Amino acid sequence: MLVLQNTLLLHFYSLQFHFIGENYTHTESKREFSPLCSGSPFVFNQFVSGLKAMSAINATNGEDLARYFLDRSRLSLARGLCDMDEDEEAPTELNTINSSGGFLVVSPDKLSVKYTNVNLHGHDVGVVQGNRPAPVKRLVYYFEIFVKDAGTKGQIAIGFTSENFKMRRQPGWEANSCGYHGDDGNLYRGPGKSDEFGPTYTSGDIVGGGINYASQEYFFTKNGAVVGTAFKEVKGPLFPTIAVHSQNEEVQEFEVQERMKLQMTVDKMSLPTNVSHGLVRSYLQYYGYEDTLHSFDTATKSTVPPIYIAQENGFDEHDIVYALSQRKILRQLIRNGDIDAALGKLREWYPQIVQDDKSATCFLLHCQKFIELIRVGALEEAVKYGRMELAKYFEFPEFDDLVKDCVALLAYQRPHESSVGYLLEETQREVVADTVNAMILSTNPNMKDSQSFLHSYLERLLRQLTACCLERRSLNGDQGEAFHLHSVLDSNKAKC
Amino acid sequence: MSLFWIVIRQLAEIEEMATSKKVITREEWEKKLNDVRIRKEDMNRLVMNFLVTEGYVDAAEKFRAESGTEPDIDLATITDRMAVKKAVQCGNVEDAIEKVNDLNPEILDTNPQLFFHLQQQRLIELIRNGKVEEALEFAQEELAPRGEENQSFLEELEKTVALLAFEDVSNCPVGELLNISQRLKTASEVNAAILTSQSHEKDPKLPSLLKMLIWAQNQLDEKAAYPRINDLSKATLEDPSV
Repeated sequence: MLVLQNTLLLHFYSLQFHFIGENYTHTESKREFSPLCSGSPFVFNQFVSGLKAMSAINATNGEDLARYFLDRSRLSLARGLCDMDEDEEAPTELNTINSSGGFLVVSPDKLSVKYTNVNLHGHDVGVVQGNRPAPVKRLVYYFEIFVKDAGTKGQIAIGFTSENFKMRRQPGWEANSCGYHGDDGNLYRGPGKSDEFGPTYTSGDIVGGGINYASQEYFFTKNGAVVGTAFKEVKGPLFPTIAVHSQNEEVQEFEVQERMKLQMTVDKMSLPTNVSHGLVRSYLQYYGYEDTLHSFDTATKSTVPPIYIAQENGFDEHDIVYALSQRKILRQLIRNGDIDAALGKLREWYPQIVQDDKSATCFLLHCQKFIELIRVGALEEAVKYGRMELAKYFEFPEFDDLVKDCVALLAYQRPHESSVGYLLEETQREVVADTVNAMILSTNPNMKDSQSFLHSYLERLLRQLTACCLERRSLNGDQGEAFHLHSVLDSNKAKC
Repeated sequence: MSLFWIVIRQLAEIEEMATSKKVITREEWEKKLNDVRIRKEDMNRLVMNFLVTEGYVDAAEKFRAESGTEPDIDLATITDRMAVKKAVQCGNVEDAIEKVNDLNPEILDTNPQLFFHLQQQRLIELIRNGKVEEALEFAQEELAPRGEENQSFLEELEKTVALLAFEDVSNCPVGELLNISQRLKTASEVNAAILTSQSHEKDPKLPSLLKMLIWAQNQLDEKAAYPRINDLSKATLEDPSV
């Protein structure tokens, strides 16, 4: 087995479609944060408040409830900053250090290799791995090579190897490795394990190797067409070896096909009649989107055939219709920035929610009032208001961070563009409105389940879905995709 | 005697190992659920997507105002789409075809199957209204030539024309064509085609996510016992059966 002058032009390329935001955090996932997030003050809070949130749930005390929402708002901010935290780093170039030096030349861009030695024996193969193992938290990892010049014997292999692979052997010759060889088209999977697999390949061919984590299989391609698949025995990290490249539509096609297969399986599940309508309706009720709710009801009743959600699905009206109009009015006031009016209405309708001025609800409302003053440029008034209403919260460690951020708004000429500019965004008003909404729901004396006001039905289902996908992945050796609502919304096909 | 018990215990252990699944208690699971982050604005987008795709234009407008969520399609196009859908649902197929062509003539040009189904629906409506002669003429002139092009069209045409052979259509084997569900089927086909022509997905995302939830729970069942949500409309966790 001799390898003569082989020149491979290599590009690392990996399919990265859906890593927008990990919806899930727990203490162990901290190490996964990208460097982008490590400087954020919210990262720490995230873990502390995760614990706080727990205690908030366990207690049915109303005050703790509002803190729970406060914590959630922090978390949502942290999430915003750490959207890419699941983006495992894929191999980007060839590993120039751990390659069989002397036998091949790696080009300065670290994407091409050339084998220069002449006439050596079988143990002197030029092998080079990617600089990182193939990422695992996805449906498929894939890379390609373009064979610029196969050399005189065409002995080229593409495959996957484990970290301590002997760098002078072809992938597939050693245990814990797998390689599709160009000279005979065979697939090698360890000493003495060689099977007829696909066509041979040579100069001018584009050859790809991939891992399908859902089926735990390797797959290889030649010029964009899948040649075959093989079961992946190796559980540990695998490095793409001698390889890699640019975008190839046919191979993207592979992932699309896998996804369609999955989608078809999922589509076969049957849903109760109009369950989506019912969930949308209860969502509108939960958040007090009263006008939308009425339009929706009118519309569903006039369709052919009409849809009578409540009767069909047995949704319990009383739980969430509670105080609907009042919740709607308060949401409107808060979304319009009219915090004084909102506080006034709350004092009138639900004095119990705002009677403790040091409560999280009051705190959020006062902060919002301060933010609204900044928004309209009433700085003097803001300072006065801050001294009067916000200063007292500095004593409380749980409010400390938000107070500081609010006050920091004063420091900037253009607060919108500052690091605390998020406070001026619409989402902050939404957080306050949602907190007030949940607080009012919690005063419902008919509430059977003390936790039912924490989340809408829709949110509970989405949480369940996310948790199921993550749990399944974790039981599957941490391989496979997670579920992210955000990326599902940004894509044209639902994923799991 | 003691040996007997040892053997029994070992057998039990072996059996347990073979069937053992990870058991996740309610408390552990609730902690996991609590760690999940779902953004409010994403849920709003999901709801907006549903309202828009299902064609609840008034509700979508109100929802935009109340929640500040932007729809992923021009709301004005929903009104036109719903007018077409409604026309088919009410049996005004000619009107519907005209409206589709006003909206975008390419929709029917590029979609012969949809066009055939609309024409078929038109034939069904003629038969329903007892216009036998008109129906025959329409079938021969408009539908038969299309049936020649396509075997499945021909079969459907024959099935539809068979309606004419029965005096009491309510009892005939092809009577279901006169059912309201046939109109709804055609209406939803037109609706989907219009959405596709507007480069919008033809189905809302929410039902497919709910299906995914059922599927994901089934998948996880194989590996673990955990609190499931069996009744989607109530979204309550049920204790794992251990």
